Amino acid sequence: MNRNTPRRIATLIAGAVLAAAAQQAAAYDGTKCKAPGDCWEPKPGFPDKIAATKYDPKHDPKEVARQSNSIKEMEARNARRVEQAAKTGVFKYDVD
Amino acid sequence: MTAAPASADADLLRLSKDDRQWVMQGKDYAHSHYSGLKQINRSNVKNLHAAWSMSTGVLQGHEGGPLIVNGIMYVHTPFPNITYAVDLDRPDKILWEHKPKQEASVRAVACCDVVNRGLAYGDGKIFKTQLDGHIVALDAKTGKEVWKMENSDPKVGSTLTAAPMVVEDLVLVGSSGAELGVRGYVTAYRMKDGKQMWRAYATGPDEDLLLADDFNLANPQYGGKGLGTSTWEGEAWKIGGGTNWGWYAYDPDLKLFYYGSGNPAPWNETMRPGDNKWTMSIWGRDVTSGKARFAFQKTPHDEWDYAGVNWIGLSEQVVDGKKQKLLTHPDRNGIVYTLNRENGNLVRADKIDPSVNVFKGYDMKQGVPIRDPEYATRMDHQAKGICPSAMGYHNQGHDSYDPKRELFMFGTNMICMDWEPFMLPYRAGQFFVGATLNMYPTPNNNGNMGQVKAYDVKTSKFKWVKDEKFAVWGGTTATAGDLVFHGTLDGYIKARDADTGEVLWQFKLPSGVIGHPVTYEHKGKQYVAIYYGVGGWPGVGLVFDLTDPTAGLGAVGAFKELQQFTKMGGGVMVFSL
Repeated sequence: MNRNTPRRIATLIAGAVLAAAAQQAAAYDGTKCKAPGDCWEPKPGFPDKIAATKYDPKHDPKEVARQSNSIKEMEARNARRVEQAAKTGVFKYDVD
Repeated sequence: MTAAPASADADLLRLSKDDRQWVMQGKDYAHSHYSGLKQINRSNVKNLHAAWSMSTGVLQGHEGGPLIVNGIMYVHTPFPNITYAVDLDRPDKILWEHKPKQEASVRAVACCDVVNRGLAYGDGKIFKTQLDGHIVALDAKTGKEVWKMENSDPKVGSTLTAAPMVVEDLVLVGSSGAELGVRGYVTAYRMKDGKQMWRAYATGPDEDLLLADDFNLANPQYGGKGLGTSTWEGEAWKIGGGTNWGWYAYDPDLKLFYYGSGNPAPWNETMRPGDNKWTMSIWGRDVTSGKARFAFQKTPHDEWDYAGVNWIGLSEQVVDGKKQKLLTHPDRNGIVYTLNRENGNLVRADKIDPSVNVFKGYDMKQGVPIRDPEYATRMDHQAKGICPSAMGYHNQGHDSYDPKRELFMFGTNMICMDWEPFMLPYRAGQFFVGATLNMYPTPNNNGNMGQVKAYDVKTSKFKWVKDEKFAVWGGTTATAGDLVFHGTLDGYIKARDADTGEVLWQFKLPSGVIGHPVTYEHKGKQYVAIYYGVGGWPGVGLVFDLTDPTAGLGAVGAFKELQQFTKMGGGVMVFSL
């Protein structure tokens, strides 16, 4: 009787795939650098770029811009506080 | 006739060398947390007893430690960030208090309890951060507000928990909020009037990073210009984390200050391909210009939330045959780094415990960790048995360096985890984490989740290691009395023999400790003071009544037993012989 029954063949193939995956999984160990300070690699089965893949975060540019806008406004208010205190000699938090 | 007043920095430098005082969170610019006082020593510490105490009137986690400047103790609290001044001649009377009005909604964007790591002193002023993002200068004598600036905007998830640090005529202010996608930045304000002198980001274009012309010249393999954007895909760096909410150190001769930038956002690594520079980096910056002379990324492309903001202690030791100016830094990722602090050269990268498994070792030539793919995290996969956990083998505790023994005294964590990421959108002001965690004690350590240990950078060895039931979260303080003091989450202050680690004395405080002890002298008598008031990340289950083991970013399960040992509190206790 042939020992390579369909089930056994399936197991062998699965084993081979697993072994290949394990070998690939060893790929990203952080020591293979494209350039100084740039050593990232995609993991086996993962894309090099995530845009337009199932892992695309689809960030909303308006949301992403909110932090820098907020900081610009805070910096402007702080500058006016410093200016005003220098002019009047009295610190006032509230700015017009 | 008095001499012309010296610069504020010279005054602070002098005070920081006076062991009767404790004028900054780190004790001195080296952030040694080492005191030359030895009235309390290993032969008489058993006689230490409570001298006085004071409740802050606030619950939740009390981090940091009080300051002692010219006979006054300055006490701070978690949100709403009250400041008290106490005259050490009669500590039963409060000299002044400063109680800020802050919107309660701010609490909702604090990731890990509403903690604050303390005050700073300089130029006759007390500097404080508020959870709502303000940096405030108070008159040290009266408590009146001198100036108040907006540093961080809670509406975009940005808060402040770190202590300010005074260097030269500047006060340095960090940032918090990487769990809400906040892009980190450090800012220098002029002490006298609050004018912003420079601001340096952790990610993005070089001009935002404030890189010096000779940036990383001594170690080009660390990476040079352009990486703040090129190690990210698209504009992900704009919400890339890297907040710095830990501690600083400063070398007055080199005029360089040192700190670590935090984790990249989100925790879901699949959503941000690339090395994600310069999150997770040790920085050496010129204080006047803010420009970075070097940066060393410890954890490229973080997959475990090993926020790299921990304590940095400075020392001068003969290592590898030559006397070197060093900085030593026990990171969340389980590695203790020692760099030459003049040029950023990597001198040591030692595992803080052999059970660290995310890295197999270190490629010292390239300055990168050798990752073990078995303990990596990725989408569509639950990683198991990762050591350390996201809480790190070391967290925000402020540790100490004993220069007589040339030993670093670490309070550490022994916690591992399982981790599975999930996709989520970014909305400014909302949490942006994207991972579910289970945390538990490091296997084969009898269920203990903490250690206190003495580390010798010259030999890369630990002279002694002692277990604690819970993580040693608040850090250590060493003294010339051959003692190491520390608090515990279950509510003890302990004094250990600096040579052996044996506990020589302990006292049960009203609540657990997440801050550090300080010591000072008043009228010829040495005192040891410490905050009690459990909380912080390990206390979130207890503080917010959470029971789901994966809640509190995974901390609730690991610390489920804590509430059988302690309840919330808030105050300072002072001990003497």
